[in-house]
Order: sequence, then C-alpha cells, then structure tokens
Amino acid sequence: MRRSVLVTLLLTLCAGAAYAEHVTAPIPVGIAVAQTSNVALFGQEQIIGAKIAEKYFNKSGVNGTPIKLVSQDTGGDEAGAINAFQNLINQEKVVGIVGPTLSQQAFSADPIANRLKVPVVGPSNTAKGIPQIGEYIGRVSAPVAKVAPFALKQALKQNPKIKKVAVLYAQNDAFSASETVTFQETVKSMKLEIVTLQKFMTTDTDFTTQATAVLGANVDLAIVSGLAADGGNLVKQLRQLGYKGIIIGGNGFNTANLFPVCGKNCDGILVAQAYSPEANNPVNKAFVDEYRRTYKKDPSQFSAQAFAAVQVFGEGLRRVEAATKKKITQLELSVVRTELNKALRSGSFVTPLGEISLDNEGEINQKTFYVSQIKMDANGKSGKFVIVK
Amino acid sequence: MEEFLQNYGFLLVTLVQQSLLAMSLYFPLSAGQLSLASPGFYALGGYVAAIMATADYFAPWRDALGWAIFPLEWLIAGLVSALLAFLVGVPALRLRGIYLALATIAFVEILRVVCLNLAITGGAIGIFGIPQLFESRWGYIWIFGPLLVITLIFSYRLDRSRVGRAFKAIREDELAAGAMGINPTHYKVLSFVIGAVLAGIVGAMSAPFLNTWNARQGTFDASISYLAYVLIGGGRSLWGPMLGAVLLASLPELLRPLKDARLIINGMVLVIASIYLPFGIAGALQRLKLSTLKRYASLRGGR
Repeated sequence: MRRSVLVTLLLTLCAGAAYAEHVTAPIPVGIAVAQTSNVALFGQEQIIGAKIAEKYFNKSGVNGTPIKLVSQDTGGDEAGAINAFQNLINQEKVVGIVGPTLSQQAFSADPIANRLKVPVVGPSNTAKGIPQIGEYIGRVSAPVAKVAPFALKQALKQNPKIKKVAVLYAQNDAFSASETVTFQETVKSMKLEIVTLQKFMTTDTDFTTQATAVLGANVDLAIVSGLAADGGNLVKQLRQLGYKGIIIGGNGFNTANLFPVCGKNCDGILVAQAYSPEANNPVNKAFVDEYRRTYKKDPSQFSAQAFAAVQVFGEGLRRVEAATKKKITQLELSVVRTELNKALRSGSFVTPLGEISLDNEGEINQKTFYVSQIKMDANGKSGKFVIVK
Repeated sequence: MEEFLQNYGFLLVTLVQQSLLAMSLYFPLSAGQLSLASPGFYALGGYVAAIMATADYFAPWRDALGWAIFPLEWLIAGLVSALLAFLVGVPALRLRGIYLALATIAFVEILRVVCLNLAITGGAIGIFGIPQLFESRWGYIWIFGPLLVITLIFSYRLDRSRVGRAFKAIREDELAAGAMGINPTHYKVLSFVIGAVLAGIVGAMSAPFLNTWNARQGTFDASISYLAYVLIGGGRSLWGPMLGAVLLASLPELLRPLKDARLIINGMVLVIASIYLPFGIAGALQRLKLSTLKRYASLRGGR
C-alpha cells in the first residue's frame, strides 16, 4: 500500500505539466527584480522603466491585445530569485520573464526557467556566460567587455600622451571585479602601462591608502570600477590629495547618485554608457519624456534597459502572431513560450538603447555606445552626463 | 499535489536546508559555545562541491564515477570542514561568550574575502553551471530529507550519551565540569567540529540545488539569520532550531502577496518572539505542557 502511494507520487512528479493551457488576455509578462534588499536601488529603477514600457506598448498592444506586467520581488539573494521565477512561471503563467537584477541571481534562477522552456531576457546581467546558460536565456544589457573600451579610447583622444595608468576596483562587487579585467586587458592592448593596481571594498569610506599609491605612481589616468558611494568617495579623496589626471569611471558611476557623493570633484569623470537619454530615436524620446514628466530627472541606464526588455517581449509577441497567423490567446502557453523565444532572436528592435538584436545564443548586438563626461554645476551639488563625441 | 510541488517544492526543500543549518549552530550551542561560524563552513562545503563538479581537473573523476561523484563531494566537503574546524576551533574555543562569537564572525569574513580573491572560486561572480542531481527542485528533498532525519536521530542519541551529558555539563558550568573530570577543550572542539561538518555537507548539497555558488552564500547576514532561527525556535531543545528555521524561512515567502508589508511583519515576529519567548518557541511549548500537566494533576487532587 505504502509503496503504491509512493509510486503514484513519483509518477505524478514525472508527468509534468502536460495538459494544454491557453494564454489569458491581457498577456502576462513577468518581471522579477529586486524590490527589497540592498540591490533594490537598481530594481526600483527597473520597475519604473518596465512600467513605462508597458504603458507605451499597450497603446496598440499585440494587435489589440494588451500585455500585463506581473512583478515578483527577488530580494537580493539567489533563493529569492528562484522563488520569484517559479511563482511567475507556475502560478502567474507568464509568457516570458524580465529579470533578475544581479548576474549571480541569473546564474541561479535562469537554469530553472530554461528547463521549463520559458524565455528570459536579462535587463542588467552583464557577466560573462549569461546567454550561454541555455537556449531560452537572452539579455539586453551589453556585457562590460563591449562597453568599457570606449571610455579608454576617449581618454586617449583627450590626452594622447597618456602612458601610465592606475587601475582601482571594488573586489567584493561582482560587476566591478569583472569590469576591471576588461579595463586592464584594454589598457594592455593599447600599449599603455598599468603601474599600480589597487583594491577596495564597496563598504570602505577611507581611501587614503589607495589614493596615496596612485599619486606616488605618478599616473596620467586612473580607472575606477566601483559603485556610486565608494567610487564617489574614492574620486573625492583622490582629487583632494592632489590628483590632476583624467579619471575613467566604470558602469557603477553611471548614475546621478554619484553627484552628491563627490560633489564638484566629480567634474570631468569619463563614463562609457550603453544608454544615453540624449540618444536620438522616437522610442527613446517617448520614454525620456514620460520619465521626466513623472520623476523630474533623466532616466538611468537600468530603467532604459528594463524598458527595452519589456519592449522586445511585446514586439516578439507581435512577431509570433504574424508567424503563426493566430491570436496569442488562441495558442497554448507552451507554444507561445517557444515561439516567442524564436521571435526574440529574429530581426532587430528599435529601443531606447538604439537598434538592438539578439543573436542565436541570446547575446545582445547593440549598434551604438556612448561616452559621457560629468559636468557639475558651479555649486557642486548637481550635475549631468554630457555626451562627448 | 503536483501543482503544489511545482510552486512550493523549492520552498519546502529550502526549509529543510535552513533547518539543517540551524542544527549546525545547535551542536556547539548545546556545549554552551555561541559560534557563528556555520555560514563559513556552509560556503566552504558549497565551494568544494562546485569545484569538484565543474573544474576540468576533476573531469576524469566525474566520468569514472557518474552520479557517485555527488556522495563523494559531500564526504570531502565534510572532511575538509572537519579539518578546518579543528584548526580554527582549538585556538578560537579558548575564547568565551561574545568573544567567541566575534572570532567566528571574523573567520566567516576572512573565508569570504579569500573566496572573493581566488581564481578557483570564480572571484565575485562565483561558479555557475553546476551539474544537477535532480531535474526538479523538489527532487532535492531526497537528499536533504534523509540528512535531516539522520541529524535528528544523531542529535537525539547524542543528548542521551556520555558525550551529550558532557556537552550539557560544560554548558551549565565549565569550571564545575572540568572539576568533575570532563576535558572541556576536547568536548568544545568536538561540538564545534560536528556543527562544521554538518554545515559543510549541507553546503555541498546546496551547490547544485541553487545552480550556482558564490561568496554571497556565507556572509555575516547568514550568521545572524541562523542565530535567529535558534533563538526564536529555542536553543535548549532539539526541535527548537528546526521550528525557528521553518517559521522564519517560510514567512517571507508565505507573505509574498503582501508585497512590501511582508518585511515589516517578518521583523515584528522577530521582535515579539524575542521579547515574549525568552526560551524560544520550543521553550514556551515546554512550559505550556508543564503547566497543563500541573493543572491536570491539581484537578485530580494530586499533591
């Protein structure tokens, strides 16, 4: 008796979701990003971007059928991401998922979506190896290796005499740690010399040691990979101790949150960006206008990438309808998920990031990148990123 | 049933996993040692398993052993944890109370920074693409479940053995225990090593369960969570840590529909429980049982 119960239990476990389910209208698209924990600053920017995208896309919808964003909080850890993904896939029956926020979370939760054949588009996963997790995993966030070199080229343009370089990075931040490798490789490939390599923690506040080392090495260029709070303080202390050369900031500097930290010492920092609010295309104009109207400031890269992720899902659904000649709501959920994944990888999309497409692996091909220089106001309280050509 | 497991399978296995980690804190605590080193050994075990499962060096082993590589990972994770726990435990357990807690926090932190900087542990990104033992997350109950049962039986038997009584004697009064001929250092290190081995094995099982392993797994935050499990559940009973882990780990997920309010409720439970239940939930239940028994006895006119 007991054994037969066990066998039936195992059988039901193995059977899986074989029965047919149809997609409901409005079409649910999942967004699983960090709305709590210390990553929430990014996650909330992503939610804002995704919500604007939902509104923008639903002006026409998928040939009339609107999409509906369903959000689940991942928190900042791996288990939270898995829980959020499973909730979206099994309970909310979403056609695809935008998320998660961190690359480490993606390595944990993406394999689950991939096994269940649910397309995922990462809005901010920049680590190496994310699209390679599986055939259902893609991203709209260009990997650091693509973006970082642009800032270096710009620095050389401003001062062709640069020879000695100092590289500094936050060793406990995954993004910064992988970004600095790219920076170091680019520096070497440009025949420049790294004379000092300094590490710090995102929780540090005193950077005297690192700043002194940089000044002692007498460099013309300092490259900093860190987050806003620590990176900003590092720049401030570097300048206060008398560093005069050019400073390149990594992607962590790509936020207005930096300005209050280093004040007028932020002035002149070069940052390579995958997104600029000044990018000239109609989708970006609509996005920036809407964002400015509500939040009275320029959107960040995180918002723009989340917008792009929702947008590619929406337009992908349109392509599915065009290919199958059926309404999405007439199709089975599993069919929509598979077809949508194919549609994401066929052809390009015009998003706030410019023209992008996903290759067969799911990796983003982005046409344009930007290099901006920070310009602070005279009072040193507020500033902006100005594109340098 | 099937749909339920689809949705909550991962959560259920997480509860068992967290219970095991709470138990790993319970062993040193039963000998009166407030050690917060468990996340360190958990992280270490996970790295051992992740490296054995992905590194090229171990490829011939994986080909030769097939699925048997998994038990081998657990075994090696347990052994490495035991060795490190012994090396750390002998000097660290000379410290008492809050100082021991501080030393073990430092140990966890050192381990974390080392893992962040080594190439073999994948730096800050960690190790990913870990081969799977089961297709579904729920499948992992078949390894975590038996481990929990074994741990409970072990702990139940230990409480009633010579060693368990020695632990208790040291917990109540180390000097008195020493005077009675118990070697406190020996038993303190033993309790520390038992907890470390358990945490290491749980880590090794968790690496495939979470698909990836990185330095964020063993942190100070985790130390505090495990301590909360034991404090809220009750550190003097075998069931306390389990109860605490199940309650505290499931609350945020069960309260998911409440969105942001869930964190407030989670915090309130912690505060209320620590004020009104000084011996944890298990302690409160024990007292409830005693007082009912007494009332029952007085009704019968006993005593």
